[in-house]
Amino acid sequence: MNESTNEQIDEILMNKEADQLQKRKARFARGLVRSAETTLAELEENPDLPESMHYFINIMREVFVKDRAHRLLLPSQNQSANNRKIIGTYCLMVPEELIYAAGATPVRLCGGNYEASLAGDELVPRDTCPVVKASIGFTSLNLMSLYQMCDAVIVPTTCDAKRKMGEELSKFTEVWMLEVPHIKDSEGSRRQWLQQLYALKNNIEKFTGKSFIRRKIRRKALDASIKMIGSAQYQARRLYDIRKSSAAIISGRDAMFAINAYSYDTAFKWTKAMTRLNDELEVRCHKGQFICSEHTPRILIAGSPPIFPNWKIPSLIEEMGAVIVADESCMGNRYLYDPIGLTEKSVTDMMVGIAARYIMPCVCPSFAPNEDRLFRLLQMAEEFSIDGIIYHVLKGCVIYDFELIRVEKIMKGKNIPVLRIETDYSPEDIEQLRTRIEAFVEMLGIRKER
Amino acid sequence: MECYAGIDAGSTYMKVAIMNNNSVLEGYKVAPAGIDCRETAKAVFDQLLDNLGLSAPDVLSITSTGYGRRRVDISHKNVTEIRAHATGAVWTAHEGRKIRTIIDIGGQDSKVIVINEEGETKNFAMNDKCAAGTGRFLEVLARVLNVTVEELGPFSLQAESPCQINSLCAVFAESEVISLLARGNDRKNIIAGIHRSLAKRVSGMARRAGLESEVLLTGGGALNPGLVAAFEDELMMDIYVAKNPQLNGAIGAALLGKNSNGGKG
Repeated sequence: MNESTNEQIDEILMNKEADQLQKRKARFARGLVRSAETTLAELEENPDLPESMHYFINIMREVFVKDRAHRLLLPSQNQSANNRKIIGTYCLMVPEELIYAAGATPVRLCGGNYEASLAGDELVPRDTCPVVKASIGFTSLNLMSLYQMCDAVIVPTTCDAKRKMGEELSKFTEVWMLEVPHIKDSEGSRRQWLQQLYALKNNIEKFTGKSFIRRKIRRKALDASIKMIGSAQYQARRLYDIRKSSAAIISGRDAMFAINAYSYDTAFKWTKAMTRLNDELEVRCHKGQFICSEHTPRILIAGSPPIFPNWKIPSLIEEMGAVIVADESCMGNRYLYDPIGLTEKSVTDMMVGIAARYIMPCVCPSFAPNEDRLFRLLQMAEEFSIDGIIYHVLKGCVIYDFELIRVEKIMKGKNIPVLRIETDYSPEDIEQLRTRIEAFVEMLGIRKER
Repeated sequence: MECYAGIDAGSTYMKVAIMNNNSVLEGYKVAPAGIDCRETAKAVFDQLLDNLGLSAPDVLSITSTGYGRRRVDISHKNVTEIRAHATGAVWTAHEGRKIRTIIDIGGQDSKVIVINEEGETKNFAMNDKCAAGTGRFLEVLARVLNVTVEELGPFSLQAESPCQINSLCAVFAESEVISLLARGNDRKNIIAGIHRSLAKRVSGMARRAGLESEVLLTGGGALNPGLVAAFEDELMMDIYVAKNPQLNGAIGAALLGKNSNGGKG
């Protein structure tokens, strides 16, 4: 009798706990939908919004508002699609070519949501960057199908936070660590990186095979996936070139958003949509349909990546009357900038080509020395006739902050002002940031007038 | 008479300045900002016009600046504090002084603006995250020490050996001050320590912004001689205090309104 009462009490308590958890999840889910929808609505309000942007807005809405990522990533309902593996990736060092070639679909999971970062806040040290907090938050809450549907995630060992994040994520999901060297120039590290990619290829082959039989990545499939991502890169570069025009044709908010959407779409569909956007923008260019004048201060946004829905800084910059013509974010320009160079089309050659593409031209500050990044920034400043740089530092992102020292010095030599903005995903500092960004834009405007 | 008004809607005080066609300060008024800066701005502006015997049509342009600049609806345009202060500093600079850096200690934020020969902003830094380095820091600690904000400066100049205050955070500094008092330290030494702490914090920001001599101190904080002395010690250079430190932003705004109105500077 007594025992059964105890059991009953236990059961009631457990139900209560589960109930609490459900309530908590529901609260997060509401906040999440709200913050994503706010950013989307802001983008849609823009009267100059290119028609073709709706495709990308729709992608984000499907993933973050309607929670239907599966519709994008597993579109067809036939048998083979149901067995299709989804592999989550963090950082841009994961070669998506290998995933596609194995018949799986990659999805980039780096989180940009404020509510998710709050959830993650309880699971990691306070000084961790919000990208990692949000990524862990999303995974631990198990709220969104985007994260739930990943069969495994690949975490490259880039910065300290991402590295330890991999460890924490393994509590919730299958994690494959991918060791990225931090020094690119040594023969040893290049060889090690190639070995890592072969090991990853092996892993993917086993994972996508049936009942422990490896499903080998064929030469043709690898070649096709390199070509597919190559054409995505071609379109990304077209957008990059369009943004060079002396009066802007597309706002930075929109351009960065369109590239960010690549994370959650299949490369093939995204490329088609991007082609349409580029075509539309070229028509606008011929018609002289600019979104601002030639006198509008032109901003390069550098540093930590703005990730949807954290459009706080890009929105503020453009609301304050400047235009973001370029970014070097790993969720923006850098994501799809460097193509793979191939001489032959053997699997070995393709693997070497992939290995080279993912680290040699990459200017992530997790590499040291990273002089290449300074060179890239100078090149961009010139190509895009940059008037000023807004250097975005997400709290806790030590390596981007470190490189600011060199960036400031080199830009001083070019007489290009740099404004450092340190922030996270929370909206509380918007008004202070607004004043600072407004003053910076005002200063650039006056300099430009002269 | 043709004149131009500048309204600096700060976090703590509302400052209104009226300049005439020859860029001479005709009159000014400073009042607590209150809770509705739109109403306060209007009231202070009207009173000032009355005092000066002016009527509304005499004022050719009204330019607002400061934290509440967008809410001031009687203004024709608004400019950022940074630009207003840079412009104000050139006007307010002592005869023959070439001001290159402005340190503004406001009630809710502090800023460092580095300007070039033409008075254009080269670089700036703002402390807008917390009370450290702002007027509020002094206000909070004055209350603990049972002195008025006006008394802080003179007291600090009488100190023999200033105490060390390590916390930059206003709340932690408050508990540090309380324990210094409990240990029987002289109030004057503590006050001098507080000024040093504030100057240290803002000087770090000034160096990062690329401090150049000569330096002008503005904002309500410049009314405090103890703070001026602390800055001189910390930066190891002469610090000039603006003629009307609290009005610098308002004067700058009025001048910017005048210039854009076609007036000759």
